[in-house]
Amino acid sequence: MCSGVARRFGVPANTVRVFTVIGALFLGVGLALYVALWIGVTRRGEGESIFARTSSDKREKEILFVVSIAVITLLIALRTLGLHALGLFLWLLTLSALEGLVAWRGCSSDEREHLRDLANSSVLKATTNSDGWQGVAIRTGVGVVLALWGISLLSRVGYEQGAAAYVLVGAAALVLGLFVLFAPWWIRTVRDLSYERRARLRAQDRADMAAHVHDSVMQTLSLIQRAADNPAEVTRLARIQERDLRIWLANPEAFGTSTNPPTLLAQSALEIEREIEDNYGVGVDVVVVADIALDESICALLAAGREATLNAAKWSGAKDVSLYIEAEPGQVSMFIRDQGRGFDMESVPDDRQGISRSIIERMNRHGGTAVIRSSPGAGTEVELRMPRRPDTA
Amino acid sequence: MSAVALPRVFLVDDHALIRAGIRAELAGHVEIIGEADQVPAAIEMIIERSPDVVLLDVHMPDGGGLAVLEGVVKTNSDVKFLALSVSDAAEDVITIIRAGARGYVTKNIEGPELVEAIIRTAGGDAVFSRRLAGFVLDAFSSKDLPGATTPPTLDPELDQLTPREIEVLRLIARGYAYKEIAVQLDISIKTVESHVSAVLRKLQLSNRHQLTNWAAERRLL
Repeated sequence: MCSGVARRFGVPANTVRVFTVIGALFLGVGLALYVALWIGVTRRGEGESIFARTSSDKREKEILFVVSIAVITLLIALRTLGLHALGLFLWLLTLSALEGLVAWRGCSSDEREHLRDLANSSVLKATTNSDGWQGVAIRTGVGVVLALWGISLLSRVGYEQGAAAYVLVGAAALVLGLFVLFAPWWIRTVRDLSYERRARLRAQDRADMAAHVHDSVMQTLSLIQRAADNPAEVTRLARIQERDLRIWLANPEAFGTSTNPPTLLAQSALEIEREIEDNYGVGVDVVVVADIALDESICALLAAGREATLNAAKWSGAKDVSLYIEAEPGQVSMFIRDQGRGFDMESVPDDRQGISRSIIERMNRHGGTAVIRSSPGAGTEVELRMPRRPDTA
Repeated sequence: MSAVALPRVFLVDDHALIRAGIRAELAGHVEIIGEADQVPAAIEMIIERSPDVVLLDVHMPDGGGLAVLEGVVKTNSDVKFLALSVSDAAEDVITIIRAGARGYVTKNIEGPELVEAIIRTAGGDAVFSRRLAGFVLDAFSSKDLPGATTPPTLDPELDQLTPREIEVLRLIARGYAYKEIAVQLDISIKTVESHVSAVLRKLQLSNRHQLTNWAAERRLL
């Protein structure tokens, strides 16, 4: 920027820079002028100036307008508190800040990037990063000056007019000074603490994961190696492991902490799946629609459903049994279906008839119904329906 | 049989073993025109070869099946996707379907069923697994059950299933094949297919946030 002005007026760039800095120190005139030029003058290689770009956008204009009004109001309020001493300097500083806002909102992304770099590189870095003696020196200097200035302002309270303003500015300067002095130390402590906490959490997660993999997958793999010549056993083990992992992945926190006995429909259905798969090497594929709390009659339904699933696993010869449970407002229905050998309802051996009866009778006792459909070669489906109690439905 | 052109299928899965297994099961029933194990390669090759059906693994590095689907659909919306996964998490299923997949099957599906699902997808129909049917029933049911994990209420205009569609979904969830559903409801297989396609459309188009929230909340099963 300075070099641009220099080129315009034919003066060495560094001279302009020096004057700008001096101007900035005196009442902030230089600073205000600098930023005004920055946003008002078209940058080399670009079509329009930052200010033109910003003011052509309605939303940007609104933002600027509102912020300006707010700041000016604040200044007038301070003035009524007797802030004459700082008047001009503060006004110019405010103007610079507003212009800075225009610049920030209006500048293109690479300019923004540049600004950000600038902010990161110099003063802020020196004040927030305590590496190197230069940073420490600058920080300590600025902090001490600000703190002393604040104290001196505060000490004048009571002797001069505009005491309220001195209290405000003095206190602000003191706080700012202390902040500049101690911020790096404080920020670093906080950062270290949160980093440590995160690292610890990560280590814990990793340990949990390792423990789980060891307990489950590694054990299963070694069991599978031992049972390598028994396909049914390998299938069974793989199935158990797969189900376990899926439940664990879905909800690692709740794994292994499921309430026993279960209190919800879906949990109980999973319980049936687990039991039958583990004991009979048959896959049970559970689909539950709308999970509800258990009561006595629903427990009876589940018991009957378990019986039916067990039958399918033991007798049908099918590799998989489908279990479908749906809780509707008026009833809970359960379907157990296999595509195994099926049977002829008329010529069922006595022991199986007994089991079928136990399903049907159990359902009837609790006011439900059971229908068993089966024919040789076409699989079996057991349909169970249990009305829901009025107080729970 | 040989007069009918086999569907041209592209495989996307990051596990070579799974790809080999699927290849073996599909051999002779479909024409496999390529496979990929990474998202960018998959997108590029699918756009280049424009298969009838992409068999898409849901869980892969770099954004998974979803990234592939979104990457391809931008350029070529004619390719149909059938999602294939070991995980049945509601969130995954709903997300991939809503992104545009025509169906969702689990990896433990039997070979012949997978072939049927691919042919159905190639023909523009929807493929619902038992679990997906269950999810849809759960998500779309507007009943307020006390003590139940009720899905949020949905916009009745757009987001309700017809009684017939519910019947069809229930039978799918009970483990019925389309053929068996047709017999059970005394309708043609084509009608069953059109019901399922209608449900898929609703699933993809209806009120986004509620369905997605529902899926996210329902972690178990």
